[in-house]
Amino acid sequence: MNRSSKIFNSKVAGYSSLITFAVLLIAWIAGFSSRLFAVIRFESIIHEFDPWFNYRATAYMVEHGWYKFLNWFDERAWYPLGRIVGGTVYPGLMITSGSIHYLLHILNIPVHIRDICVFLAPVFSGLTSISTYLLTKELWSPGAGLFAASFIAIVPGYISRSVAGSYDNEGIAIFALQFTYFLWVRSVKTGSVFWSAGAALSYFYMVSAWGGYVFIINLIPLHVFVLLIMGRYSPRLLTSYSTFFILGLLFSMQIPFVGFQPIRTSEHMAAMGVFVLLMAVAVLRHLQSVLSRNEFRKLFIVGGLLAAILVFVAVVVLTVLGVVAPWSGRFYSLWDTGYAKIHIPIIASVSEHQPTTWFSFFFDLHILVCAFPVGLWYCIKQVNDERVFVVLYAISAVYFAGVMVRLMLTLTPVVCMLAGVAFSGLLDVFLQEDASKRVASTTSSLPETEDQEESLEKKSFYDKAGKLKHRTKHDTTHESGISSNLKSIVILAVLMILMMFAVHCTWVTSNAYSSPSIVLAFHNSQDGSRNILDDFREAYYWLSQNTADDARIMSWWDYGYQIAGMANRTTLVDNNTWNNSHIALVGKAMSSTEEKSYEIMTSLDVDYVLVIFGGVIGYSGDDINKFLWMVRIAEGEHPKDIKESDFFTDRGEFRVDAEGAPALLNCLMYKLSYYRFGDLKLDYRGPSGYDRTRNAVIGNKDFDLTYLEEAYTTEHWLVRIYRVKKPFEFNRPSLKAKDRLIPPTNFVSRKNLKRRKGFIRNRPTVIKGKRTLK
Amino acid sequence: MWKIVLIAFLAINHCNAVLEADANTLVLLDNLAIRETHSIFFKSLQDRGFKLTYKLADDSGLLLSRYGEYLYKNVIIFAPSVEEFGGDISVERLAQFVDDGGNVLVAGSEKSGDALREFASECGFELDEENAAVIDHLHYDVSDAGDHTTILTSAQNLIDAASVVGQNNRKSDAAPLLYRGTGLIADKENPLVLKLLTAESSAYSYKPDSSISDYPHAVGRNTLLIAALQARNNARVVFSGSLQFFADDAFTQAVQYAQSGVFHKQAGNQAVAEAISQWVFGESGRLRVASVQHNKEGEKNPPEQAYTITDPVVYTIAIEELVSGKWQPFRANDIQLEFVRIDPFVRTFLKQTKGGSYEGKFKIPDVYGVYQFKVDYDRVGYTHLYSTTQVSVRPLEHTQYERFIPSAFPYYTSAFSMMIGLFVFSFVFLHFKDEAGVSAGGKSKDEKKTQ
Repeated sequence: MNRSSKIFNSKVAGYSSLITFAVLLIAWIAGFSSRLFAVIRFESIIHEFDPWFNYRATAYMVEHGWYKFLNWFDERAWYPLGRIVGGTVYPGLMITSGSIHYLLHILNIPVHIRDICVFLAPVFSGLTSISTYLLTKELWSPGAGLFAASFIAIVPGYISRSVAGSYDNEGIAIFALQFTYFLWVRSVKTGSVFWSAGAALSYFYMVSAWGGYVFIINLIPLHVFVLLIMGRYSPRLLTSYSTFFILGLLFSMQIPFVGFQPIRTSEHMAAMGVFVLLMAVAVLRHLQSVLSRNEFRKLFIVGGLLAAILVFVAVVVLTVLGVVAPWSGRFYSLWDTGYAKIHIPIIASVSEHQPTTWFSFFFDLHILVCAFPVGLWYCIKQVNDERVFVVLYAISAVYFAGVMVRLMLTLTPVVCMLAGVAFSGLLDVFLQEDASKRVASTTSSLPETEDQEESLEKKSFYDKAGKLKHRTKHDTTHESGISSNLKSIVILAVLMILMMFAVHCTWVTSNAYSSPSIVLAFHNSQDGSRNILDDFREAYYWLSQNTADDARIMSWWDYGYQIAGMANRTTLVDNNTWNNSHIALVGKAMSSTEEKSYEIMTSLDVDYVLVIFGGVIGYSGDDINKFLWMVRIAEGEHPKDIKESDFFTDRGEFRVDAEGAPALLNCLMYKLSYYRFGDLKLDYRGPSGYDRTRNAVIGNKDFDLTYLEEAYTTEHWLVRIYRVKKPFEFNRPSLKAKDRLIPPTNFVSRKNLKRRKGFIRNRPTVIKGKRTLK
Repeated sequence: MWKIVLIAFLAINHCNAVLEADANTLVLLDNLAIRETHSIFFKSLQDRGFKLTYKLADDSGLLLSRYGEYLYKNVIIFAPSVEEFGGDISVERLAQFVDDGGNVLVAGSEKSGDALREFASECGFELDEENAAVIDHLHYDVSDAGDHTTILTSAQNLIDAASVVGQNNRKSDAAPLLYRGTGLIADKENPLVLKLLTAESSAYSYKPDSSISDYPHAVGRNTLLIAALQARNNARVVFSGSLQFFADDAFTQAVQYAQSGVFHKQAGNQAVAEAISQWVFGESGRLRVASVQHNKEGEKNPPEQAYTITDPVVYTIAIEELVSGKWQPFRANDIQLEFVRIDPFVRTFLKQTKGGSYEGKFKIPDVYGVYQFKVDYDRVGYTHLYSTTQVSVRPLEHTQYERFIPSAFPYYTSAFSMMIGLFVFSFVFLHFKDEAGVSAGGKSKDEKKTQ
């Protein structure tokens, strides 16, 4: 009996590991392939904006080596300030793909670094799903883990940042995040130095990869803190946290970009405070074991209060003295959603920093957003040390995701995990009967609560069985009776929902998140054919072929990385928005009149100006639509020269047609966008100069450029490049007719094509035999 | 031997090349008589190597450029009354000619035609109204007919620039200049206009034979007699209100102030006219940058990638001046160097080391970025010398920082003492554990050992 059960158990274990392996492998493959839409539809190309910098930096590192990269002073960015790339970048991404490149080349697999960059994020999505599986397994059960792994492989909230070509920090950071959390939970569970040192190492990787590491270094202390409050202190906690904190602190300071921030900025202070608190609690515990109860109580109250006050005062004093930097603006905007709009327009101007709409929760997470509270409820109901962690994770991530669209990314993993828990719990209930029959244990139709109280091992065992959806379904159909019918209906419904989830994920991925955004595609409404607009690359290629190697190109900062990456030209501002005043200067140049902006442009040695104009094809992400942000940012630094209200009509509208504000109709950005546009007739019936993006006939049609000249306009007018004239091209300031003291005589030319003779007044006529008069 | 000859020949040819390039000059005239009445002036030009092509200003075959190449380097317009140029030439073409680097010398008169007025306004000045002449009731020549328009103006009224008006022509004992013509009015906003010659303070410009009904356009020293424009591309235009100024008569005539009776054997016109013609056709007052060199102090070549902050740097620029057809070292003591990143971080005078070579030494500021060495030498009478050299200044590399700093010694000590302490502790700890089973006696033994 004993032996046979052992065999049975080992058999089950064999099956379950096979199933686990298979499910994870399939999740990896499914996740990888659903991220390839962009590559298949377009080509293997780096997407969007930031990835272009990452790619350029990686290519530089691969070419010149790590130390050259660390000391790389990029003179082509932020002209004339320059940028120390090595010290202002999270190098994890470049190191990761660089070492993959190195490894493959050692194995004589000659892969171009671009392909590694393009496919890095999809590959890492598989690792993310594995680490999510591990984490969920620690928190709940392997079955829930498999659910979570499958979810995260295809959930759009994560795919949005990790499609092939989206070569950005987030692609590898989510893996690092999940893996750190897994190791942390493991170390809290076991109390082993090994696991917490592992967590610290994984945290180090996270720090090197993404600025979001702050989330970890605040969430883990929060976890510890809440555990302490709940009275769940244990030596395991002490070991794991103190190891993690010390090692993590030291590791994180090794990244040049982070440097001394972990001990100097407020964002990191919580971790330090919790460390001190934990030490205090440990000391108290030790005293408790030594002292009598009464003595200890007094000591505890007094000591605890004192410690709290001390820590608080210390932090405040250090902040006031300036040793500890106050919270950065980006951090404030997390708490007060209106803060950025008022104080830091440059943060508010980024679309991914906008508050999330309800719609996008469903769009990105679909059914998971509904299942996630259930999982959260399960965790709260059966709370233990590590579930406290996931609850905190969930709550904080939900809050942050509500503040910024971008932070939806940190919410997605925890939603997948908790939805996995929820689905696993559901299937626990509704697959329980036949499973129990096979093991021949307690009677069927147990209430849900009782079911939950069963031993962990058993549950996980059910769950593994539960993963075999088809077989169990098959079994249940054989069952007769009302309860089994109900079960099969529920299970069918759940499967249906999951199927729809998969369909939704694929649809969203294919339609919303798989556009490289430097190549645009649109469907022709008449014949349904697909057209490709390659204007961006056309313009950048033109720049790289037709301008001097050191030409400086002014554009709004969104396009800085792309110009540097594709055209390899010097830019004034780029997506690394570290210098607000420099951006404000460019914003000022864009929103001033041509004459005034020429002064700014010559002082910055600008050679070309590049603007994005979508009025011809109806592309809404163009510079005119972003223009108010330029004005706002410029106003922040130059409130005397630029006023946002000047760019609105009297009724407070922002419009480009004839009723638009005169400041708008005469500013550089308007002129550069609409130069010669007034002559363009888009279709036969409509008026000329009709802007399709803003559905208006432009207000200022007939104007000429004095200080700039059109250098290049792409096929669909999407990118327009202008050359800034040099001072010597305004060779001589001529006297205008109206400024002349002596009015011009309005001489009418008598020359024509045939008669080319000029005219001299009082021409002496020579008469023979007469002397010329003097 | 023949090699030396060849080299000498080439050298001669080469310096001629400078002149020959400047040599083709188109002379537009009202009538061919002017060729005779201004023969001394034209002769002096021909002597200097200019090849003059005389044409009537209304000639229908006038051609300034052919197949996009200019046929002439310089244009002289001694045709005051031209209303419209003939052939290919028009005011716009002339303006374009200036913008493409051509030099123009124009002389007007009291009866200047429309073409000249338009061209003058293109260059930033105006000719006074028709029939208006410069009148000076105090400084006129004895030869004056009675309306006091044949005026004399002191050589002191020439612009203070030896490269334009010659070395000796502005001295206090130089002969006055004879002038009969209209006045010019300069655009006050235009920074490029040079007032080469002004009238005396008692002069004004008005129609001599009508009574004054409104305020004259030009009064006193504001009455410009000869104005010049050096465009931003260093093309030069000289505009004289008087064709008479360049005439043989004015060159040779003895002058005497009618009022004071001061007598000069010869008017100063010839020397000044020659000096001005030299300047306007680019024979004098031309500077160029022969070479620019910059490097870290003690090194020969500029760094491959970038300078590092606080590097001591040496900047050398060699400037040459065109003197009688040859480029020779230029000597001055007021050349400034700026080290600019939007704003100048360093501004210093350059020291002349050897002939025409200027050197500046300074320490690069402690701010990284992309800088420019900028020499912007803009002096009246000289071409605008502007040289920028872009260099990058990078921060310290990770190996360039000091490795051990004294203020960090406590931390080094603490780190090493910690390491030693840990080692000793673990050694003791492990040792103690081995004997833990025995008794407390082992412990005291152990303590003794450690002592």
